[in-house]
Amino acid sequence: MNKMKLIAGIIVFGSIWGFAECVVGPKLSDVGLPSGALMTGIFAIGLMATSRMFYKQRGMQLGMGLVAGTLRLFNPFGGCVVCSGIAIAAEGLLFELIWYKMSLDLRDVQSNTMKVSMGIISSYICYVGGYITTQILTPLVSTSGFYLENLIGFIPQILSRGLLAGIIGALTVPSVLLLKNINLNTVKDKLYYPTVAAVSLFCWIFVVANWLILI
Amino acid sequence: MTISKGRIIPLIAICVLLIGSFSSIYVFAVNTDYTTNQDVIINDEEFSLEYLFSNTPQRTFDSMNVSGVALDAIINSININCPSCHSYKIIGKDGYSQTVTWENMQNGLLTYEKKVVFSDLPKAFNVKDLVEIEVF
Repeated sequence: MNKMKLIAGIIVFGSIWGFAECVVGPKLSDVGLPSGALMTGIFAIGLMATSRMFYKQRGMQLGMGLVAGTLRLFNPFGGCVVCSGIAIAAEGLLFELIWYKMSLDLRDVQSNTMKVSMGIISSYICYVGGYITTQILTPLVSTSGFYLENLIGFIPQILSRGLLAGIIGALTVPSVLLLKNINLNTVKDKLYYPTVAAVSLFCWIFVVANWLILI
Repeated sequence: MTISKGRIIPLIAICVLLIGSFSSIYVFAVNTDYTTNQDVIINDEEFSLEYLFSNTPQRTFDSMNVSGVALDAIINSININCPSCHSYKIIGKDGYSQTVTWENMQNGLLTYEKKVVFSDLPKAFNVKDLVEIEVF
């Protein structure tokens, strides 16, 4: 795979993920839906599994998490934006670790049992890991400090809330793997790069403009 | 003997679902213990919400569009010696807790919906359905 094509892919998929975290996540939260589980189970896992299938490269999902986390820093709402950004990057790292031993052509996830299982494991661990990361980092960067007993006391809740994310992931990964596997090497550069640039720019401009208007 | 991915991954997925399910059962069991109690425990003493709201001054955070009872005033009203010498652990019905300083308490309030909000701390410090404030 051409390195430039891969970098462009990281930017566009990371931008879509960050856009969803900044725009869709707060809307879900406003209407009383469990936004964390929905965002991880649908958007994070969906986009990371899709990019894994299309690009077949290790490290890409970590890059996506860094891009999405950076974009999240431009969203002024939802509390500690630095911590949310780092939590999103942590989700990318966890996905990489979970899928590290899986074959890049996804031969290992041919059966429905494997697709569902990987969906559950990826979504649950990314959600729980991201949540714990936020719970550690937020107090650390604030004036109050981090107290381990506060985190330990809340671990059952975090593990419990991850169940919904896991169940959503069980549906997301098999759905993503139903998509026709596009060979990106056959996509012409003059179509690929302008499309990727336009989508990425839209995501960044929308989020940054939203931030500038609201502050 | 090597265990294939095809066997180990579904087993891990089942374990993950079991962890989530048992945690949910545990959380449900713990939460139901609190549901009938409308009082707030502060430094091991129980106070009714009516008492707290009628005996302490109000505070409003305009930027957050939220108002309620000032947390530092609540602590002052129950006669704790040297409030600035202590830390305060705010505990919610779901077990969520955050420990804050006296300075943070001076920028915090308890809403009528029993939610604790701080103007100087990230949103992660907000605690819903307050059940206890531990002073230590």
